[in-house]
Amino acid sequence: MEDAATPVMTTASVAVAESTGISPGALKAKKIERARMLFWLLPPAAWFFVFMILPYCMLFYYSLGSVDYVVFKPGLSLANFVRVFTTEPYLSVMLKSAKIGIYTAILSSIIAYPLAFYLAFHASEAIKRYVYLLVIVPWWASYLVKAYAWKTILGTGGLINASLLGLGVIDHPLTLFLYNEFSVTLTLAYIFTPFAVLSIYAQLERVPTSLIEVALDQGATRMEIFRKIVLPISIPGIIAGGVITFSLGFGDFVAPALVGGADSIMISNIVINLLGAAYDWPMAAAIGLIIIALGLGLITLAHRLEHQFQVRF
Amino acid sequence: MAAYIDLIGIRKSYGASPVAAVDGVDLSIQKGEFVTLLGSSGCGKTTTLRCIAGFEMPDTGTIRFSGEDITYSQPSERDMRMVFQDFALFPNMTISENVAFGLRLKKMRGRYSEAQIRARVEEYLSLVQLADHGKKMPHQLSGGQKQRTALARALITDPAVVLFDEPLASLDANLRKAMQVEIKRLHRQFNKTFIYVTHDQEEAMAMSDRIVVMNKGRIVQSGSPEEVYSQPNSKFVANFIDRANILTGIVETVDGSTAKIRLASGATLSAPTNDATISGKTVGVMIRVDRVSLGEDGSDQRNILRGIVAERLFLGAKNEYVIELADGAGRISVHERTAGAQASIGDVVPLCVLPDDIRVLAA
Repeated sequence: MEDAATPVMTTASVAVAESTGISPGALKAKKIERARMLFWLLPPAAWFFVFMILPYCMLFYYSLGSVDYVVFKPGLSLANFVRVFTTEPYLSVMLKSAKIGIYTAILSSIIAYPLAFYLAFHASEAIKRYVYLLVIVPWWASYLVKAYAWKTILGTGGLINASLLGLGVIDHPLTLFLYNEFSVTLTLAYIFTPFAVLSIYAQLERVPTSLIEVALDQGATRMEIFRKIVLPISIPGIIAGGVITFSLGFGDFVAPALVGGADSIMISNIVINLLGAAYDWPMAAAIGLIIIALGLGLITLAHRLEHQFQVRF
Repeated sequence: MAAYIDLIGIRKSYGASPVAAVDGVDLSIQKGEFVTLLGSSGCGKTTTLRCIAGFEMPDTGTIRFSGEDITYSQPSERDMRMVFQDFALFPNMTISENVAFGLRLKKMRGRYSEAQIRARVEEYLSLVQLADHGKKMPHQLSGGQKQRTALARALITDPAVVLFDEPLASLDANLRKAMQVEIKRLHRQFNKTFIYVTHDQEEAMAMSDRIVVMNKGRIVQSGSPEEVYSQPNSKFVANFIDRANILTGIVETVDGSTAKIRLASGATLSAPTNDATISGKTVGVMIRVDRVSLGEDGSDQRNILRGIVAERLFLGAKNEYVIELADGAGRISVHERTAGAQASIGDVVPLCVLPDDIRVLAA
């Protein structure tokens, strides 16, 4: 077969073609395709290597070493990892960070769901654009400024206390709003809720109107439609939004520094201290790696859950 | 006497659009009837159906259902179920759960025990030939199976009326034919009122007791499939329903119930009419492609036309001849059985049409 093509083929490619049953033309096409793919893949691969793989390797290298006074000493010891789990306050702070992360995820989802629901089912195109803008615009302002704003709202001389004092509800400013887990969670949820809105909205948008109509037609109440149809279909969006807001909340260091109290220190603050003040890079690296491992585990779990709950139309 | 379902002066427009989607529809539907709203997209048929279902409320007009005004009542308050074009199966439920949906709602609580629901779901699944598919998820079914599930879900709550919004439009041609047969069988079996919307005239003719042809938000003609096919009341209907030859002629005389119409080619045709006022006017003359034949049989009952064969298309069981009439009087397509009369391109041929097969239309 294909006698005309044979003379221009190398003997090697003839052998490959014969053994695999792929025609020489297809082989050539594959070669060109591979070359093109490499061309497009090279820049992102290089980026990924230099800014992801390499730093992780360095992180790992550091985590196995130790510090003698302020000088880094290379080594091959897992002592830093053991210390994370055995020496206070690393583990407890990490757990507390996780708790704040979970609070943030829950609060963000609760705030985000009605908005996403409204956008998906009731908003006109014009309103959708407008709300979308309202969700995006706060990101033009620095995160620091927004976190700081909560200080002036929640503080003893802040908006809430001033209002309550003015109304005569209280006679001393209340301190329960600021410098605790509540203020940290509130600030984090305020900042990261857009991520939850977008992931829940993306999922709700997939629900065709006819599903709602057929349920109404059958006599389902609004509550039944929500419970039996809308909520189950939106679960993957809630999970996705939850993972993002949890991760951002868990790793945050600005909110606890600005609006957190003395006891609301979080794991990122500890890492920063280890890197800066304490000069204990190996310990910081070990914590970093544990957080990355936790993150990978969480994402894998979430991915599996999303897959399990994802509906197909 | 009021009919089972009465639409009186229904008008509906969307948003700021100056053109009404439904522009004054009056329609009466009898109990047990299979009525099809037929028209091209944007003719108002779906909006009319959605008003009947309760998903839309008309701007003006009244809808009565067994004597009761239901114009503004909720969809669930009407004893009607709708079957959608996109099937609208709940993707998070199995086929059985989808079918059982209506029976498990709060408003049905206490009506059926769980065992009764299961038995009823079984019954309705086998009714639509899906007995073994109950545990599957919707995405595992083919398009036809999905629509049969939707049918079972609509029928299981035993509504008096079933509404169909282009239910077969997203299926391929063969499946569509099979589903038409199935829907017709269900109509016979349950003896419920079916109101069906489609843009496919063949589907409408195959299934309906009555076809309501709509255009630009209004009803153009309403009648049995045979009526709208052989006695269209306008060029629009003649063209929309199957294939029609439409020529133009001038009415020379009206004698009793027969009009003599002169075509541009000089030929005269006799055609039935009951309107003596058309004498001297220009009219349209409709002849169906299967009601005209090649050759003349000598009987003077027939109208004879002459023309040249311009095109011949082989269609399997029949040939289609396109005949160019003399003096620009127009073209006529003729369907002739392959086993019947034959002609070649360029032949001058006579054509004959029975007067009763000619329909005079307003120009």
